[in-house]
Amino acid sequence: MAAKKLRRAQLSQELCERLSRYQITTCQDFLCLSLLELMKVTGQSYYEVQKLLHKVSRACAPKMQTAYEMKLRKSVNPSSTFLSTTLHSLDRVLRGGVPCGSLTEITSPPGCGKTQFCIMMSVLATLPISMGGLDGAVIYIDTESAFSAERLIEIAANRFPTYFDSDEKLFCMTSSVHLYRDLTCCSVLKRIMSLEEEIISKKVKLIIIDSVASVVRKEFDPKLQGNLAERSNFLTRGASVLKYLAEEFSIPVILTNQITTSLSSVPALQADLVSPADDLSLFEGTKGEKDSGCVTAALGNTWSHSVNTRLILQYHDLPTRQLLVAKSPVAPFSAFFYTIEKSGLVLQGKTRTLVPGIDNHWSPEVLSTF
Amino acid sequence: MRHPFPYEHFRNKSFVFFSLVGTLPLAPALRSRLAAAGFQTAQELLDTGPCGLSKEIGISREEALEALQVVRQECHGDAARTPGGSGATRKCTALELLEEEQTQGFIITFCSALDTILGGGVQLTKITEICGAPGVGKTQLCMQLAVDVQIPECFGGVAGEAVFVDTEGSFMVDRVVDIAAACVRHCHLIAEAQQEEDHREALETFSLENILSHIYYFRCRDYIELLAQVYLLPEFLSEHSKVRLVVIDGIAFPFRHDFEDLSLRTRLLNGLAQQLIIIANDHKTAVVLTNQMTTRIGQSQSTLVPALGESWGHAATVRLIFHWDNKSFQTGHSGSWPWSATCQAPEAQEFSHWGWDSVG
Repeated sequence: MAAKKLRRAQLSQELCERLSRYQITTCQDFLCLSLLELMKVTGQSYYEVQKLLHKVSRACAPKMQTAYEMKLRKSVNPSSTFLSTTLHSLDRVLRGGVPCGSLTEITSPPGCGKTQFCIMMSVLATLPISMGGLDGAVIYIDTESAFSAERLIEIAANRFPTYFDSDEKLFCMTSSVHLYRDLTCCSVLKRIMSLEEEIISKKVKLIIIDSVASVVRKEFDPKLQGNLAERSNFLTRGASVLKYLAEEFSIPVILTNQITTSLSSVPALQADLVSPADDLSLFEGTKGEKDSGCVTAALGNTWSHSVNTRLILQYHDLPTRQLLVAKSPVAPFSAFFYTIEKSGLVLQGKTRTLVPGIDNHWSPEVLSTF
Repeated sequence: MRHPFPYEHFRNKSFVFFSLVGTLPLAPALRSRLAAAGFQTAQELLDTGPCGLSKEIGISREEALEALQVVRQECHGDAARTPGGSGATRKCTALELLEEEQTQGFIITFCSALDTILGGGVQLTKITEICGAPGVGKTQLCMQLAVDVQIPECFGGVAGEAVFVDTEGSFMVDRVVDIAAACVRHCHLIAEAQQEEDHREALETFSLENILSHIYYFRCRDYIELLAQVYLLPEFLSEHSKVRLVVIDGIAFPFRHDFEDLSLRTRLLNGLAQQLIIIANDHKTAVVLTNQMTTRIGQSQSTLVPALGESWGHAATVRLIFHWDNKSFQTGHSGSWPWSATCQAPEAQEFSHWGWDSVG
């Protein structure tokens, strides 16, 4: 939108030529100038410039829709608004599953099951709509080389044995999962920028990036001067492109993040602790020592603002682990126990919807809802 | 012999006719020509007439006529304004302003603690900024306000409509449906308890469908779309005169990346703030903005501060900062003049299906 050329904004030819002499060719250049500057470069009076501003704004501004129209559109096509995770209690709490059109983040310490969750979701996305899937391809951007095709087949065969009863079906599923290995920030960003065409040509219905944190933390050290700002810049750019893709094509985007432990009170990391939901030291129960530093989701608070839903996985009594809904526009505080089996993640026991204050194990600061 | 000062001659004319040529809203090239020819005041231009003007400066008669029309419009516009008529530069006493402010409606938030520190609710004609950490509830509050602004007057609301400008994509229609349904239920309960005729009448139009139809949603993907939308807002508000709330959810997000030139960012933000102030005043709407928190690295420690810098802090009249506190759930803090009270919510605030609510 910003890069829209002025001649497409229905300004006259001679005006566009005059403006291009001042290097003003796009709507962005035009709208960034003050009124006096505009009067100078267009050579027109105040009222004329106001009218021009109006014209250019009309060319850039988004279309209006009422909340009612949005609701109607959603109810016409309900299955396309979420991707069911087949973890029934989680789906119920999230009102259907991983929401389409927004960014969902899975955060956990290493080894808890982030990649397993992502692989499981890849299988689910390729399933037909009648089975709760999205009947589409998956783009899997792997920055840690953790993806395993064998595990993909194992999960598919064990979770849906009746559906994947033939090799042919399995191969069909695996050929819809497109894997990209991008190991630097630069290549990840380039990949994200090029996704629009891929999504259309391959009929993609799910984007997974595993993991954003590993590639960012390799290259940006927040203790060095200037790196914090650059890191924020990279993350917000990536986030806004991903949001655009998610909304434009109405597909879910899943990203994974890491947990960071700061061993001393390093200032930069301390400030990352913006939301008590991210303060996982409280989860450690009695054995965690607060003095040894705080445990928090990596990538800082700017990133936390950018994702719409955040799920936290963490250890409980092995082999049981815990899944928390930490940030969601529709879900209340919830925690689930799960184990990792051949068929992927399996929920154990009943769901707990936690009420702060009453359920003393989880203090209200620990969980956040949005 | 004393020459009487020609006071009579000038008394009926507005002083604007003596406005200098340099301040008239003409094209810069024309202005420089007029200055070079020696014209100083608007009155001189009007006295010369189009033909004389065209000959003296060397422009065509049509151009001269256009210029004179601009000058006349400007002068008459000012003349209409000076005798204390209605317009952007009217004068009034502080008492009149006080009376106006007291009869001004508030948009209630249904959270008594919050309404108390805001002085009754979100105030019309003012800009309120909501800052907070991710996940603390800024968008929830905005969605709540977009529903609450529509509450009919007999129930204590302002019976207005809402504009929702979304830059982060966090607007969830389903959640708004929940909040709206709960609000309608609440009003039904009040009506049943009080059994008044106007309550029942109001409830006929206060339905879920109507509430959703009166939330006008704009999704702005970058700062250019946001700037463009704010330029077009006055026109939209004139067409939809019942709008009493403009929410911009995420004023920080589009400005936080791709800006190497920070001075440009400051200038654009200041321009945005000014336009929003004008919108708030001219159309009697409340403007609510949400802002992110960012890290400020200090010498010995880092703190969380609202994003977008110091100068942006002056834009809003009321600034609410939500943060997690040790024992209590959330603390609202009204940081700007005239209120600077801190409010502790001792009870747990639960996000019930009503949205914001103090649970006793």
